[in-house]
Amino acid sequence: MKVLVAVKRVIDYNVKVRVKSDNTDVDLTNVKMAMNPFCEIAVEEAVRLKEKGIATEIVVVSIGPKVAQEQIRTALALGADRGILVETDEKLESLSVAKLLKAVVEKEQPQLVLMGKQTIDSDNNQTGQMLGALTGMAQGTFASEVAIDGDKVNVTREIDGGLRTVALNLPAIVTTDLRLNEPRYASLPNIMKAKRKPLDVTTPADLGVEVKSTLSLVKVTPPAQREAGIKVADVAQLVEKLKNEAKVL
Amino acid sequence: MKPLTQDALIEQLSAIVGADKVRTDADSLTTFGKDWTKVYEPNPSAIVFPKTTEQVRDIVLLANEYGIALVPSGGRTGLSAGAVAANGEVVVAFDYMNQLTDFNAVDRTVKCGAGVITEQLQTYAEEQGLFYPVDFASAGSSQIGGNIGTNAGGIKVIRWGMTRDWVAGLTVVTGKGDVLQLNKDLLKNNTGYDLRQLFIGGEGTLGFVTEATMRLTRPPKNLTVLVLAIPELDDVMKVLNQFQSSMDLTAFEFFSDKAMRKVLARGDVPAPFESSAEYYALIEFEAVTEADMELSMTLFEQCLEAGWVVDGVISQSETQAANLWRLREDISETIAEWTPYKNDISVVVSKVPPFLRDIDDIVTREYPDFDIIWFGHIGDGNLHLNILKPEALAKEEFFARCNKVSTWVMEVVAKYQGSISAEHGVGMTKKAYLTYTRSEAEIDYMRAMKAVFDPKGVMNPGKLLP
Repeated sequence: MKVLVAVKRVIDYNVKVRVKSDNTDVDLTNVKMAMNPFCEIAVEEAVRLKEKGIATEIVVVSIGPKVAQEQIRTALALGADRGILVETDEKLESLSVAKLLKAVVEKEQPQLVLMGKQTIDSDNNQTGQMLGALTGMAQGTFASEVAIDGDKVNVTREIDGGLRTVALNLPAIVTTDLRLNEPRYASLPNIMKAKRKPLDVTTPADLGVEVKSTLSLVKVTPPAQREAGIKVADVAQLVEKLKNEAKVL
Repeated sequence: MKPLTQDALIEQLSAIVGADKVRTDADSLTTFGKDWTKVYEPNPSAIVFPKTTEQVRDIVLLANEYGIALVPSGGRTGLSAGAVAANGEVVVAFDYMNQLTDFNAVDRTVKCGAGVITEQLQTYAEEQGLFYPVDFASAGSSQIGGNIGTNAGGIKVIRWGMTRDWVAGLTVVTGKGDVLQLNKDLLKNNTGYDLRQLFIGGEGTLGFVTEATMRLTRPPKNLTVLVLAIPELDDVMKVLNQFQSSMDLTAFEFFSDKAMRKVLARGDVPAPFESSAEYYALIEFEAVTEADMELSMTLFEQCLEAGWVVDGVISQSETQAANLWRLREDISETIAEWTPYKNDISVVVSKVPPFLRDIDDIVTREYPDFDIIWFGHIGDGNLHLNILKPEALAKEEFFARCNKVSTWVMEVVAKYQGSISAEHGVGMTKKAYLTYTRSEAEIDYMRAMKAVFDPKGVMNPGKLLP
């Protein structure tokens, strides 16, 4: 079974995000970039499927600037077999990404597409769903467990107040949630081997997809500064403040 | 001079700092009367929380007048019982002297009250686009005053040195109650004895540091972490040489498989790889360009081909770097529940391999029934040898057995001209071994110095000097 995994290069999860002084965007100068954590989970799941003998080939795709090759190399080091970079310097919206992924899906014909439920930069949580709509493939979102069963995949989804398991006909799209697995580290010997794995570069034009932005970014502002706490004299004052100031009682 | 009654003592202290800044409740006495060591039972007579240098001076003058022993207390994360009050002393806790003031962007300095927490200084530096490089596992609790008193080292010494290297100036209250401004934050100041250095690592025996001007530096770029699996102890230093001859490292740490298993057993730190080896090295460097990354790979490959290393990982994100660091940084905290007997020893880097072999021989011969946990900042010649207490063994018997073998370990330290306390200080737990590193003549000079600054012997008595 061929598995396609989509990964995105985003600002490192551990970095304290700063806003540009003119409020036009997030400041990315000299900021550490890394693979989106949910995408790491998708790669790990694909590698586990391969280790179980279910997946036969893992193709990893990333859409973004040339340097996004770093994240593809990471995925290759973790166990993916080959990579595809759809190179573009455009700032893409979810729909454009979904259209580009659809073109890759048509070309690669995977049985399973694994992707993060959202990226930590734009937090949209819609690319997987849009890809489902565009391709007509079944979708299992927020997966905390993925079990292949013949020509079906059983996906346990994390929903409000519990879990819900759905059976999807393959080919299908699965978007990963945090508890699906714990990604491993890329080992140094595998990183070296990954350098010899194929990585093809293509462009939106090659794929016949026009990427046009329909949104413009108006303003980015940092969260409000937290105000200093106060000490209350007694319980009565605490209750009074919770009622009248915090309005939580 | 008549000793004060307990009531009179509290009254006098309250007159200096205010009644709400003197504590005598059982909880406070236990908490502030000890550090991380578990050897001595805390038994202070009061805890006093000064807010200014003047209040500290007045407390010291009071101590001189009535012969009251004072013990300084910072973050209480010390590992040599340097801040333990076991004999009815008054504990001077610097928690309220935690202000950061007078930031100077040109000099790249900031003035810290003795009670500023290390992490508070690190965060402050970061907010100014700068970096305070002294770092260790207890940075979230330890205070600058305590760092200076013990000349704290930690995990980045190989690149940035010890606390001593970052102290631009000090305000101290001497044992006589004099307030001295030392070095006035100057970079160049060749005007005779640098008294500042005596108070750094002085463990509060000459006087108490109340304020310090600390230097800051430019922040490192893209710190990247490697963890390598190394089967043979001898090869750890070969790996260090291989890397250091080609690149500047910001850290080179080492830990044994036993140490790592304890940390992994907590369940909240991921394992670096499936393979295991007797020892691991954690290497950190600045990956500024792609070429730095390539170089680290090449060096790894060379270590692999030489057979020194069998596996390795490299951090792909800051999250992974932080998690890899936890393998090393969480050791101390994790093994604390086994009441470890701690050795913190060092030799010059070139002598580490034979030194390690000798120490290894002694501990395997003498402690066959004990769990031995090795780790350390081996890149700067510093080794932490921890012996875990078997559950069935009583604390007293355990420490007695450890002390006996410690003498042998210390003899090896002396043979290699090493230090019996590389970065933890001497306090009470190591003072019996001071002669293995310092000569009798040297110790006599140290005693004479103590008599000059603290003639009545009120400053942290019973610590450091045998």
